Amino acid sequence: MNQRPTWQIVLRYVLVLIVVGLFTFPTYWMVSMAFKPKIEWSTAHGTIYWTPQDPTLENFETVLTEYRGKFFRANQSSALPSIRSSIIVSIGGTLFALLIGTLAAYGLSRFSVDTGDLPWYIALGRLALLILVLLPFMVLWAWLGIIRYWYGILSFTLLGIGADHLIGRLLALYYRGPTDSLAFSILQLRMFPPMAIVIPVMIMWSAFKLIDTWYGLVAVYGVVTFPFVVWLMKSFFDEIPRELDEAAIVDGASNWGAFFKVVLPLAKGGLASTALFVFILNWSDFLVALLLTTRDWPTIPVFLNSLVSSEIGAQHGPKAALGLLAVIPPVVFGILIQRYLVRGLTFGAIKR
Amino acid sequence: MANIRLENVTKCFGRVTALQSVNLEIHHGEFFCVLGPPGAGKTTLLRLIVGLEKPDEGNIYIDDERVNEVHPRDRDIAMIFQNLALYPDKRVFDNIAFPLRERGMPAEEIKARVAQVARMLHIEHLLERKPGKLSGGERQRVAIARALVRTPRAYLMDEPLANLDALLRLEMRIELKRLQEQLEETLVYVTSDQVEAMSMADRIAVLYKGVVQQCDTPDNVYNLPANRRVATIVGSPPMNFLTCQVQRTDGQLHLVHSGFGFQVIGSDHPLWDCLCRALPAVQEVLVGVRPEDIRLYPEQPTDIIAFPARVAVSEPLGAETIVDVQLGRDIIKVITPPTQYFDEKQPVWVAFDMAKVHVMDAQTGARIYTTGAPEQLQCILPGTCA
Amino acid sequence: MASVRLENLRKEFGSVVAVKELTLHFPDGKFAAILGPSGCGKTTTMNMIAGLETPTRGSIYFDDRRMNDVPPGKRDVGFVFQNYAIFTHMTVAENIGFGLKIRGVDEATIRREVGKIAELLELTDMLHVNAGRLSVNDMQKVALGRSMIVKPRIFLLDEPFSNLDAAFRAYMRGELKRIQREIGQTMIYVTHDQVEAMSMADHIAVMDFGVLQQFGTPDEIYNQPVNLFVANFIGSPNMNFIPCYFRSEDGRGYLVQKHGSARILLDDRRRQLLERHPGNQDLIWGARPEHLTLHAEPSRPEYLQATVRFLEPLGSKTVVHLELGDQDTIKVIAHPSYREKAGTTQWIEINPKYLHVFDAKTGFVVR
Repeated sequence: MNQRPTWQIVLRYVLVLIVVGLFTFPTYWMVSMAFKPKIEWSTAHGTIYWTPQDPTLENFETVLTEYRGKFFRANQSSALPSIRSSIIVSIGGTLFALLIGTLAAYGLSRFSVDTGDLPWYIALGRLALLILVLLPFMVLWAWLGIIRYWYGILSFTLLGIGADHLIGRLLALYYRGPTDSLAFSILQLRMFPPMAIVIPVMIMWSAFKLIDTWYGLVAVYGVVTFPFVVWLMKSFFDEIPRELDEAAIVDGASNWGAFFKVVLPLAKGGLASTALFVFILNWSDFLVALLLTTRDWPTIPVFLNSLVSSEIGAQHGPKAALGLLAVIPPVVFGILIQRYLVRGLTFGAIKR
Repeated sequence: MANIRLENVTKCFGRVTALQSVNLEIHHGEFFCVLGPPGAGKTTLLRLIVGLEKPDEGNIYIDDERVNEVHPRDRDIAMIFQNLALYPDKRVFDNIAFPLRERGMPAEEIKARVAQVARMLHIEHLLERKPGKLSGGERQRVAIARALVRTPRAYLMDEPLANLDALLRLEMRIELKRLQEQLEETLVYVTSDQVEAMSMADRIAVLYKGVVQQCDTPDNVYNLPANRRVATIVGSPPMNFLTCQVQRTDGQLHLVHSGFGFQVIGSDHPLWDCLCRALPAVQEVLVGVRPEDIRLYPEQPTDIIAFPARVAVSEPLGAETIVDVQLGRDIIKVITPPTQYFDEKQPVWVAFDMAKVHVMDAQTGARIYTTGAPEQLQCILPGTCA
Repeated sequence: MASVRLENLRKEFGSVVAVKELTLHFPDGKFAAILGPSGCGKTTTMNMIAGLETPTRGSIYFDDRRMNDVPPGKRDVGFVFQNYAIFTHMTVAENIGFGLKIRGVDEATIRREVGKIAELLELTDMLHVNAGRLSVNDMQKVALGRSMIVKPRIFLLDEPFSNLDAAFRAYMRGELKRIQREIGQTMIYVTHDQVEAMSMADHIAVMDFGVLQQFGTPDEIYNQPVNLFVANFIGSPNMNFIPCYFRSEDGRGYLVQKHGSARILLDDRRRQLLERHPGNQDLIWGARPEHLTLHAEPSRPEYLQATVRFLEPLGSKTVVHLELGDQDTIKVIAHPSYREKAGTTQWIEINPKYLHVFDAKTGFVVR
């Protein structure tokens, strides 16, 4: 409010510059490394090159073409299949989560049923599901010698469930609204340590022959990001006055008609930003893809991981090049829907 | 045109009772106002009629057809919401055309109908714009147009003028009234503004805490309020209520207040009957007088009996002045002409228009009697009776 | 207590000018109102007085001290807003005493002061009630009490009654005015409701588009409006405006209606005034509905002929809408029992004392 002395302003900008430098340097390093020849990116030689001395596209060639194939794992000779896999799986998972999540969010936002103890039963049911169905399943597989160290898996899973449940209940106590607690118990799904659910899922998936398939990954991504979609979309739907759907119904639309013709077009901005958010989550996932893919459908993060191994050494240059390529889709997607993102932000202004 | 009938309708939300045993009959082509303070259940009443809520008990009939289970889209009733509920992403044209499209009307006909309604409401030049770019009054008109375009059986309006500024409200009030007279359609209008209800309605239902207090013409609601609630809700500033003790001595009946007293004249008087039948159960009554039925005199008048009082504060409104007067232990509000000036703490003399005094039960608030002529109650000075 | 003086106060938000060169003086111990439609800059003005906004230019003085650089916490200003911010987990007494408690005042003094305030606001019976259980109406009273107890130098109220129901609003108007008179607190009240401003304030500042239109007592604002905006904004139903021009015949001055033949004979003072006025062919005359009287017969020649269009019965009075000439409508306040049918011819008497003449181009009153 009042004018500050000059030195304070200078200090403020210096601080800002330092923080900005800290955050942007890794990005810069990745970009510059992608264009450096091997002699510059490898550490063998002892000198650090801050900028590419001899810019080259050699690294891109390495990841995108076949001829150095023998370096890479699992018969994958180039990064192209993994890029395809990433695109299909991320988009598929996003669409799946949006489809079920948006409908669930609309229901939670509009039909305020007094759920009473329902969230409690949902939490209980989840627990029962894990203990009664998953565990015997796992024990059986362990018994048959298909997985070893089953006690390790068991204790991990139990710990995960216990922690999830405790945190979930405590937070749900804090959130007392009837509908919110139902929505909240959906968000609770996210409170499992990922490791705790991914391993059981892996066991199940292998039983159902879903490992290393695109639809197997899409299903997991869809379920994992579903709570985010519900929560984000619910807040967007809450912003839209209820009278709008009611007006549409009174004007002669069916309940579905009101949703598709009036509410959904208004939530376009929200839908776009949710889609971007979920897409980025899926795109950057490493853990789930690592455990659920083997030969045919490894995604970019998994493939990147294979660029460091005892056989081929640390391929920093090709890694940086692929990393740079991997940045492109989210950025392009972001630019494409920017119009809607901005509208999503200014949406409140036209309502009143 | 439709006849809407509610029969013993009760609606609860959880533990809260929004409407309790409501019986109403709204006639063909009537301008029907539902008046009540916020939270009285007015909006719930509209939502029940249009079908957005279902009654817990009782029946709703439209043209003698029971519609409890009928989906809102099949009831053919138009509703204008308090926040208008215009579709913000659609052009005005598409907003107005929406109900017609939902009914599968051919595009050519839709165009013609929208144009006709737009002309009627003077919004032809706005059809290409989005609602966000319109002024408050223009949005109002678009919302009305969207309701008019489908020629429904009845119109429901939920405080449609509440968000407009005072001058525009005045203008739209007149326009709405004229429109309704032109259309000759049933219109149910919900408002918390008694001026709107009084000036526009053919009949008013006064709603308080989910119960219909009175349903009658504006004149009767104003001049013969059924109870204390109605008298408070209708009229601004509201009716003054003064608690009086009922005293019966030597065959005379007196109503005694800390600042004044009345004598009931003649034992053949209906008020006498009412009070005597209830005695000794009724110890207290409320005497209600509207602020405009009270006169203030700076000096004691000689021709009528007036009671001594003191000015607490005066509120000049330009066209009239509201004077708060301390009469006995109560403060009453009096409307005086702006030409009359009163200082704070100034002693004044208060006289009531004896033809317009209401007597109400102190416990239930129900009206016992309203005087129609000055000679039915006589003023006496306090202290002149035991 | 203090007086508030604003000098050439200006506030810009980007390219939007919210308040334009505002100069005002609110006297010590008086009740002042800032009145205007939404977006007129009244809330911005109040925020600048409170210190929540920094003026782009100009000065704010409390008494003779310039306050521009004093942070809001040190200005000693009390607030009451539309959304009564009361603590619902405390009792009424704790709520009212909160301001003193955080200032470290001892328990006994707090209890005494809370008692005084509660009595003033008629809250004594509910001091120990949990504030969350109060009705909306009582909550607003508690909010008032909580701000009053610390005896700020300036008391600012931003539409505090707009959430209350109509009957209680009328009651609180009288109450607030009585309380203000009793404690002699400087109050500045921001509202868009002309009834509130008229009934409570000693002085009213009418604003529109960030510009001060008129500053004066309620009586001045009502009976001597300086321009069309003020004349139109104050009073309900609003003033009648009839476009007209000036004509002089045989040494007499008339105002002749543009869309009809209604003529008003002017007195000598007005005639001379209008003769000299350059824009006298483009005028508007205005008269308030309550200063007009309806007659069934043209018993005097200066009555204006009009046709009843419709009635608005309001119980305590009836507003009669009439057609004057071709397209002008005119409202007249009549007795509540007035029930003439539409189409009836009536004769309107105008009280010349309350006739206003405005220049149609500039909007200012001709005087």
